[in-house]
Amino acid sequence: MAGHESHPTAPPKPRATPEEMRERKRLSRQRVSDDSEFITVSMGPQHPSTHGVYQAVVDLDGEIVVNTRPNIGNLHRGVEKLAEVKSYHRFLPLTDRLDYISSFAMNHAYAEAVEKLMDIEVPRRARYIRTIGDELCRLSNHLLWLGVHVMDFGAQTFFLICFRDREYVMDLWEMLCGARLTHSYARIGGVAADLPDGWVEKCRAAMEFMPRRLAEYQRLVEKNRIFLKRTVGIGIFTREDCVAWRVTGPSLRATGMERDLRKTEPYAAYDEVDFDVAVEYDADVYSRYLVRMKEMYESCRIILQCLDQLPEGDYINQDAPSQTFPRKKQVMRDSAAMVQDFMQTFRGPKVPKGEVYKAIEVPKGEMGVYIVSDGSSIPQRLHLVTPTFYHCQATPALFEGEMISDVVGIFGSVDIVLGDSDR
Amino acid sequence: MGLKDILKSSTFYEILQGMSVTGSYFVGEKVTVEYPKEQIPPFERFRGVQCLISDPETGELNCDACHICATICPSNCIFIESSEGPDGAKQLDSFVIDLTRCIFCGFCEEACPRAAIAMTSAFEFCTYNKNDLILTKDWLVENQKNLHKELRKR
Ligand code: SF4
Ligand code: SF4
Repeated sequence: MAGHESHPTAPPKPRATPEEMRERKRLSRQRVSDDSEFITVSMGPQHPSTHGVYQAVVDLDGEIVVNTRPNIGNLHRGVEKLAEVKSYHRFLPLTDRLDYISSFAMNHAYAEAVEKLMDIEVPRRARYIRTIGDELCRLSNHLLWLGVHVMDFGAQTFFLICFRDREYVMDLWEMLCGARLTHSYARIGGVAADLPDGWVEKCRAAMEFMPRRLAEYQRLVEKNRIFLKRTVGIGIFTREDCVAWRVTGPSLRATGMERDLRKTEPYAAYDEVDFDVAVEYDADVYSRYLVRMKEMYESCRIILQCLDQLPEGDYINQDAPSQTFPRKKQVMRDSAAMVQDFMQTFRGPKVPKGEVYKAIEVPKGEMGVYIVSDGSSIPQRLHLVTPTFYHCQATPALFEGEMISDVVGIFGSVDIVLGDSDR
Repeated sequence: MGLKDILKSSTFYEILQGMSVTGSYFVGEKVTVEYPKEQIPPFERFRGVQCLISDPETGELNCDACHICATICPSNCIFIESSEGPDGAKQLDSFVIDLTRCIFCGFCEEACPRAAIAMTSAFEFCTYNKNDLILTKDWLVENQKNLHKELRKR
């Protein structure tokens, strides 16, 4: 991959080692015990730097953060409860509203879990389309993240530059499924529609052009003294911490742990494409940036491979009429398909009794769906294990011992979206 | 710190480099449009406000009040009333979509067995009055003018 060589990652100053970091945290813990006076500052819930309606009440000793009390739940909509009154099909659009930056990945996670429960196959073409969709989500999510993250450090224009290129991905989505943000594109047993005419060429053109743009970002960001000073060696979160707090995704890979569900438990078509897991070893804000940057290059590579290998076939499973919707074309012509449409709507899919858990790698981390089924067409209980919830719960440990001015940058670096955590 | 670094930091090398990228966009192609004056038409599959489709010759609605769309709708925002018509067939009395609840998922279009309801490319419908967002049958039939796609394709 040509883009990978262009990583000038020589840090300008020695980074804080994990030992130093532990020492810093220990000192800050000592401060809590020798009852010095703290200043309490409330950040959020409506502050641009908290990236959503998240409130952090921080106790400060001078400029050092001693204690943080995260406050989430301002966006609670009761999605898990709503799942208990809707059939499996009807719940799917609501998964868009979890992590609304990468909605297709959420649809995909839900659909994978339901397919595992029903034990139905997904046609190979649909698996490829899903892989492409997942990677497009990763790309648009990371582009948004990058723009906002750099804006946290004061670079306003960069945000607009990232948004310009995110627009290419958004256009692809609009052409593919009709929506730019809330895609609702996955279906149980496949995807909603086949790729439209001209989409493959458009996608290929965008993916061949994207690495050049990414290299331009690197030129702007990685040589910028302010960015480097505010990220290198800041906000170290070691591997043990990550495991203890269940921080997943790029933040975990930035600690040197090669955990990526796309590789370790392949789903969709990830076992048929060739890609590298992006890993960095310094566990600081800058490493998290580097991991995401590399992932974007990898995403372009995966999408191009999928487009090259795209098999012919159905986009939705046709062999499980009691679980999936028929294709619209057939409903108009064929009375059996019409009855199938009718039954799926009024009675819902046929589901065996049981419990499943399925996790996939969404742009922000590991997203798991846990379903308990009592054999009816609505879930008895559905639990969503979303990455942001765990990232928010880790914030006290993340901020501890850091300067108050770095809090915004560190918080941005773990990548959160509050719709995901509050559900 | 070598001579190179001192030179770099005293000449604001990074800022110059950043500005060179910014400067290159002064001469490059423009990527934005001035929205209300210029418009980018949405793609064919765009999911905008719904419309009800009538037969171009007879003017009759395709819909036969089967309630599939109202049942599949995840936010329960389609309200259909039907009665027995003069010839004994089902007759559609009212068809209301509550846009304040609609999430534009497109399930109604997808599930309809008669291709009677479709998502159009209309997306400009802001209003000062919430009652305008309760769409009636007449409004939905009228909205066919915004339908720019061929149905039955998928
Ligand atoms: S599904 Fe189609 S035919 Fe049935 S009520 Fe809705 S619009 Fe009418
Ligand atoms: S688009 Fe979705 S939410 Fe809106 S009326 Fe149709 S089915 Fe209901």
